[in-house]
Amino acid sequence: MASEERTARASQSPSPSLADVLDWSDSRQVVPRRRRARRPGLRSLPEVMAWALFSAGGFVAAILLPVHVAILGVAYAAGWLPRDALSYQRIHHLANNPIVKLYLLVLIALPLFHWAHRFRFAIHHQFGIGLKKLVAAGCYGAALAGTGVAIWALLRI
Amino acid sequence: MAERPSPYPLYVRKYPRGWWLRRGPYLRFAAREITSMFAAITSGFLIAFLIALGSGPSAYAAFLRLLDSPGTIAVSSVVLAALLYHTATWFRLTTQILEIRLGRRVVSRATLIGGLVMVWMGASALVAYLHVWF
Repeated sequence: MASEERTARASQSPSPSLADVLDWSDSRQVVPRRRRARRPGLRSLPEVMAWALFSAGGFVAAILLPVHVAILGVAYAAGWLPRDALSYQRIHHLANNPIVKLYLLVLIALPLFHWAHRFRFAIHHQFGIGLKKLVAAGCYGAALAGTGVAIWALLRI
Repeated sequence: MAERPSPYPLYVRKYPRGWWLRRGPYLRFAAREITSMFAAITSGFLIAFLIALGSGPSAYAAFLRLLDSPGTIAVSSVVLAALLYHTATWFRLTTQILEIRLGRRVVSRATLIGGLVMVWMGASALVAYLHVWF
């Protein structure tokens, strides 16, 4: 093929001609079309799981987290709660319920995975750092570790 | 098929470090990414609360003393504001993605937002009732 020869020649000569550049650019544009197209809607399993956890976490963070911060962070210190609302006996009894434990696990773990997915891209976008695999492993690893600690904390109550 | 190695240098556009600080939409995009940080901080805080709860009455009392200060109110208010910003952007985003059809009619965005706000208020009220008064 003429263009192949030209490309080979061009890689040796220091200044390529315009025709060589155009040939090379044409040959590059053809390459992606020869690849087998991925079936639409089909993604790798880790990607699907990361996305599902991200979106579920976004929902949990949006709907359930504000009220918890409002109660524990603001209302308690401001003295708006009844006297023994956060007493040890009451909260311990409440957190001992298996359904409440499951709720707390969802409440804590899903926002962590939401954060992991967003922070992963924030590292690339806002801080301009590459290292894609390391960043992904670090972010999802941190979320997994947090989930592990949450399970441990829930089991020892 | 493996891609042929390029005989010419590829043009890769360079972005300035602070590109996301330059315009409103970019900044809001960055704010969405950064408010997720506060969701993770809240998760960490709840984990600390549960660890204190699991460590017995005296550790729990010490944690409550830590909570009972003006500084906690200040920090929590910032976290709460960030979380509410996340809630608002998440609802907006959801109504842009989600399309619900009832028969032939498509539920309007205003109705969807209203529905989400109702779900949010209902869930918050239920959590508050079980957490504080139940």
